[in-house]
Amino acid sequence: MITLASGFGAQAQDLCQSIAARCEKHITNQYIPDGQFYRALLQGDEQAEFNLTLFGGTTYRVAACSGETDGILIFNVLDKDNNVLFSNKDQGNAPYWDLAVTNTIDVKVEAGLDPSKAGSGCAVMLIGFKK
Amino acid sequence: MAAPKPSIIALGLSLGLLIASCGGSDTASDGTQSDTLAVDTTPKETELINVGGQLFSIPSPVQTALAIRKAGLKYQKDLTAPLDKGDVVVGKVGQSLVLGMYGADMAYVTVHKDGQRAMATMQAIEKVGNKLELTNSFDRALLEKFKANLGSEDSLLQFSGTAFRAADQYLKNNQRDDVSALVLAGGWLESLYLTISDPAAAKDQTLVNRIGEQKNTLAALVELLERSDKEKAATTFIAGLKELNALFAGITSTYTFQEPVTDAAKKTTFINSTSTITIPADQLGAISAKVTALRNMILA
Repeated sequence: MITLASGFGAQAQDLCQSIAARCEKHITNQYIPDGQFYRALLQGDEQAEFNLTLFGGTTYRVAACSGETDGILIFNVLDKDNNVLFSNKDQGNAPYWDLAVTNTIDVKVEAGLDPSKAGSGCAVMLIGFKK
Repeated sequence: MAAPKPSIIALGLSLGLLIASCGGSDTASDGTQSDTLAVDTTPKETELINVGGQLFSIPSPVQTALAIRKAGLKYQKDLTAPLDKGDVVVGKVGQSLVLGMYGADMAYVTVHKDGQRAMATMQAIEKVGNKLELTNSFDRALLEKFKANLGSEDSLLQFSGTAFRAADQYLKNNQRDDVSALVLAGGWLESLYLTISDPAAAKDQTLVNRIGEQKNTLAALVELLERSDKEKAATTFIAGLKELNALFAGITSTYTFQEPVTDAAKKTTFINSTSTITIPADQLGAISAKVTALRNMILA
């Protein structure tokens, strides 16, 4: 089932808001925010899929957060052939990572909760890039 | 290398679940999962919309502005949208598109170090933002910060990116995804217009490639707009984008996977895969004409 929330209650907003506020801190001053806010609501092994075009010659910072502490969200970056380019699972569930892109590439980011840490949650992803 | 098995994508569940879920669940001290909040996890059909499930990122106009500057194209202030348009534009479709256009123009004039125009553009953004009830993102405080940092390109780009992200967050939190998508679309179109309007761009292979690389973004944008335009208020604009999308169909690309390299100490992965873009020369002209026509339609 693929679903999108048609209504986002005020309490849920507040809860996701605090996650977003924490996540924003990972997009430090060295990076320019891409101006967009991505969030998904996950339960169990559900995964959110974010599609991105990463331009060559750019270093991107991807921050992915959920719950009350860092390290709850696992995210994988895959190319169009589903080759895994990066997984934060290999890096201790790092809440952010830099992707230095040589040539322009379309990727998807799959984000899901670490089942050992959360059964459900609000996932927030933010992106910044270096000039 | 095998990818993880794609699994169910859920971008939203019922309010009851949301409240529970956003609070997260506890992890017991022994590391086992312990969901302490008992909730009905069955989504209520009335609260769900099947939408195809993916989220799309539209490249930041700042990146395009930087590419234009890097290519050495001449700065042409006159290419930017007239700032008085924000005073007269009516309706949320037009206002949202113009807001996005001003965002792209702001990036363009900022990276070309035209602080005066950047300030004027931010004032225009504030006005249109007010019309769209985005005063939480574009306010007097932002203008003051802007004014105090006019000499710092990095600060202006930071402020702008943060403000647009806050606006996007606010819009999505308030079920105004249509406005969010239109702002992105306006910014994307204006960025493309600024790139393509200078004939010198066609001679710069990096910029030509950048135009071609928008193919998937445009397809995503059309999907995003169609998905969010529940009131069918933007059908004319979407139809125009679809015509533009058809022109992009002639663009071909290749992709070759190369093993990425990760430097854990620097928290960086170097993505070395290669890609090429081929755009037939006549296609570029047709794309340019269509982009200009669409922009003129918004500004008419």
